[in-house]
Amino acid sequence: MSKRVGIVGAGVTPFKGTWREKTYYELAQMAAREAVADAKIAVQDVDAAFYGIYNDIFERTAIPEHALHGLLGMQNKFGLRVTMGGATGAYTMSAAHAYLAAGRFKAALVLGVEKATDCFDFASMSATPEVIKSIGWSGDSFFEQPIGWSASDSYAEVVLAYMDEHPGDLKPEITAQISAQLSRQALPNKYAQRQHDQVTPEEVLNSRMVAYPFRELEICVYSEGAAALIMAEEKTAKAIAKNSGRPVVWITGVGEANEHSFAGKNQKVMSRIMSDYHASRRAYAMAGIKDPTKSLQIVELHDAFVHQLEISMAEFGLVPLGRADSLIEDGLMTPGGRYVVNPCGGLIYCGHAVGASNIMSAWSARNELINRKLKTALVHGTGSTVAQYTACMILEHA
Amino acid sequence: MATEREKVIPSKYIPEVGSHTETIDGKKYLITNDAMYTFYRRTKGEFSDFFLALRDDKRLLGCKCSRCGLVRVPPFLTHCPDCNFAPTTVVEVEQVGVMNSTPPITYFATSLFQHIAPYGRGRVIFKGADTAMSVLLYTTTGILVPGIIRKGTEVKLVFNDERIGDVTDVFCVPTAELRKEQIEKKGLQRSEIDWESPAEPALPAASDADVAACRDTLREVKAIIEEMNRNERARKDIADWKRDILVKTRGAQFGIYIGGGNIRFEETGPASPDFVMVCADPRTLLDGLAYRGAITDCVINKKLWISKNMEFNTIFKLDRMARSVARSKKG
Repeated sequence: MSKRVGIVGAGVTPFKGTWREKTYYELAQMAAREAVADAKIAVQDVDAAFYGIYNDIFERTAIPEHALHGLLGMQNKFGLRVTMGGATGAYTMSAAHAYLAAGRFKAALVLGVEKATDCFDFASMSATPEVIKSIGWSGDSFFEQPIGWSASDSYAEVVLAYMDEHPGDLKPEITAQISAQLSRQALPNKYAQRQHDQVTPEEVLNSRMVAYPFRELEICVYSEGAAALIMAEEKTAKAIAKNSGRPVVWITGVGEANEHSFAGKNQKVMSRIMSDYHASRRAYAMAGIKDPTKSLQIVELHDAFVHQLEISMAEFGLVPLGRADSLIEDGLMTPGGRYVVNPCGGLIYCGHAVGASNIMSAWSARNELINRKLKTALVHGTGSTVAQYTACMILEHA
Repeated sequence: MATEREKVIPSKYIPEVGSHTETIDGKKYLITNDAMYTFYRRTKGEFSDFFLALRDDKRLLGCKCSRCGLVRVPPFLTHCPDCNFAPTTVVEVEQVGVMNSTPPITYFATSLFQHIAPYGRGRVIFKGADTAMSVLLYTTTGILVPGIIRKGTEVKLVFNDERIGDVTDVFCVPTAELRKEQIEKKGLQRSEIDWESPAEPALPAASDADVAACRDTLREVKAIIEEMNRNERARKDIADWKRDILVKTRGAQFGIYIGGGNIRFEETGPASPDFVMVCADPRTLLDGLAYRGAITDCVINKKLWISKNMEFNTIFKLDRMARSVARSKKG
């Protein structure tokens, strides 16, 4: 019989375009300090650490977690690093949940951290081309890297294939409105990289094309930062919560799925994000959710691109496939609508410090559940080529 | 194309040993030029037959499952996972296929691919295959823009004249842009295709009214460029960048000069520009600089012509500066 697992502490660093003042050692410790302070425990009370770090190149070292373990006070304890592309943070939480539910540990530190813009392109004298080149090493190295595979063009493949099937959906004016709304939602988030970058739909439509069909203001920003959770099995979680005065937010469902990397018969269906579909259904089943449109109130999803946000919401079963624009047209995610979607501003406005991003989303969902006195949230991470990987979690606040 | 490089890492990408400091809140931080690099003599292993067939015979190979008959191109595996690892056999497929879905077009490329941007990469199901192969996509008509290649568009595999046994040896163009004999030819080479070389567009003669209107517009362009130059955030966007740009419009020529962290407008254009911009209506450029639309999009939509595709880099920086000024105005 597996144990219930809950979140009893959380902390994040500010997400910034570049942290000249900090290495990833210090960023990791900043988030860990915040999380244990939030839980009102000492780091010595934690008996395992799970590290979400996406890209060795960003950290400029292989096995980047090894240096963190002792610096976080975890010497001689269990430590496991997870790297799953953009879904690294979500999969890290999934791994921690599995170990805690199995009774291996009482309390765990779940830590995501990432640098990015130390990478620098000396030809264009700017960071971004080198950052996206580093991510470009993630594509298939025999057939796709050599011809310009990138995160943007691989997600664009999925989005364009969806638009082939549903030509009336993902209208530019709707993606622009979603981006503008997310920018407004970031305003109260003091940790957001673009806290004060509120944009209008017109500005989104006027922003430059980066990779067709994505415009600059429809794409997540690369960030540096860290996020941490304290997760604990039921008995320990309740004891920590009693002491901290902060309620336990329970993880009642977890689901994951990884698709095929390549397209065609029996392989990836390019117009779908089946990883989102399967992972969310597995999480719903574990949480006992029959109708997510009635159960879910908050969705903190990985919005690498606004268009993908819309498709993911459809794959979660929250809007019909082909009618994702109803998120705005029917007011489903506008203020006062059925779903609170990415209240932190999402990865587009709060920022995308890859290994930390989904953990930041869980931090946000937990805060929103408690502060708004809501019951159920979905946290999501997507990653790898063509949106291949997904991990989902259902959070519940009694 | 990547195949033309002489070194595994072109020298232009390699920085000199060095460091500098940046001051934040009165404290200095040390930043060092650095690299992580590993060289390989990497085997293509079970893919060797596929790449050798491309290089030496201009043939396209796949693998066919001995049980379910599924033909995978490229031949990713020797045993079919759908049939409990039944063995596959090598088969040859045709060199014409259709797009599995509408392909993306990359304008802002990684540092490795800026020299070929904008480029399309998409997946083609070749005749005789069941799965899709990633390929670079080109049009013979100039810059690839949305709408030329879509889901279902028939395309032809084309081989570079110089081949190295890599996926970059081939690319696809729409068959609608080729002659019948080219479509039917096995092993069609790049040099056998007529490529349109986009020439600098001729500007229509300017009337007196055009010249007067242009003069007014250029005053606005100058004012915006001066505003950019006063804006700290915008100046950061062109740090360490140097370009002398000759701009030609109906009614005037002028220069935009970037260097030393500054940008300036001059009525006299450079004699030896790094590149040339041509736009019939100077308001096209004005709107971009004023953040009323992206200059990048004007290039894509052929409202503004640039003499070197690599200078998309500079166009991005100008778009970035326009956004930086707009952001600063918001506080």
